[in-house]
Amino acid sequence: MIIQKISRILSNFDNILPLFAAACAVMSIITLISLPLAYHEDQLYPKRIVPGSTLNPYDRGGPPFTQAEIHSQYPENSPTAGYVTAYLTPFSLFLSEYTSYMGTTIVAHPGGILDEILYNTRGLDTVVEPTILFIAFAIAAYIFRKGGDE
Amino acid sequence: MNEIGGAPLFFLEFGDIVIYFSPFTITLFLLALVFSVFVLVSRPERQIDIAFGADAFYAKVISLSELKFRRFMSIACGLACMGAMVTGDLFDFTLFVSLVGICNVGIVAAVKSRHVQNAAYQYGLVALAGTVPMFAAAAMVAATTGTLSMLELAEGTIQVPLAARALLVLGVMGEGMAPFYAAKAEMFRAPGAPYVIMCSLSSLLIFLRVAEVILVL
Repeated sequence: MIIQKISRILSNFDNILPLFAAACAVMSIITLISLPLAYHEDQLYPKRIVPGSTLNPYDRGGPPFTQAEIHSQYPENSPTAGYVTAYLTPFSLFLSEYTSYMGTTIVAHPGGILDEILYNTRGLDTVVEPTILFIAFAIAAYIFRKGGDE
Repeated sequence: MNEIGGAPLFFLEFGDIVIYFSPFTITLFLLALVFSVFVLVSRPERQIDIAFGADAFYAKVISLSELKFRRFMSIACGLACMGAMVTGDLFDFTLFVSLVGICNVGIVAAVKSRHVQNAAYQYGLVALAGTVPMFAAAAMVAATTGTLSMLELAEGTIQVPLAARALLVLGVMGEGMAPFYAAKAEMFRAPGAPYVIMCSLSSLLIFLRVAEVILVL
């Protein structure tokens, strides 16, 4: 009898979202109770923010055109990791030496700095993330155009 | 390593993301692949409603543009499933599962039935909310173990906290598993059989895969 009642509630899809929200809330409380969790010091891709650097958010250390030490999971799979500052074109190098805005011109400046953690060691993630966005855009565009037809 | 799905047969390296094919994952991968090929080559069904009391019936015909869009979404869903089946990286797995959720909404986005649209809306909200615990779990695993690779985690040197596993399961459940399955089940009422079946198949495949992921962690 109780199973019948539960399944009747669950079969109405309007109840699914409140149910899931409640499950998330309960799970969050359980997670908060289980805190604190120990932080593992030996992390992949460590990064220090160097306040004085002109390449600031993207500075992985090391001089341009040489390889910096990057702690990746499988270093043998990405032999060119750590050449972040090697991607600097002569113009970018000029910008980074004479202005303090090089780190933030990454979008507007092709051939500037590429975050080689994203593109070199975790390339598949970078592919899947825009795919999610593009699929969402495709759905939105299709629904928008369908609405215009009628 | 803790071999739940059999010994890995071969590895495919994308930098730090290592895709591995074990007997278990390759079976699921082939299932998704075969079904994607079916979707690619088949024509959609035509639902027939018999009009009672008269010698007549209504046939629901899917227009060509709608057919193309739904086929595209089904194949995208199949590709996302294939990725989720074989990936050996936890963060990559969560990304593929959220991609499956989005594609499932896309498959029925073109359907005109109001009932199906309401169900898809509810499912979309739950799938959206489900990404939060899922990515939280991936972040917790990265912070507490220092790695995201399932092959490293499978060695069992560092214990993954129970809360992270539970959050991962909850997030994946939100993408269309019992008891949050009702909205997805209502989505199958849409006409166009081979495409809507992809919603069901993706849920089944992800359910099987997440069981392996949780046991491996």
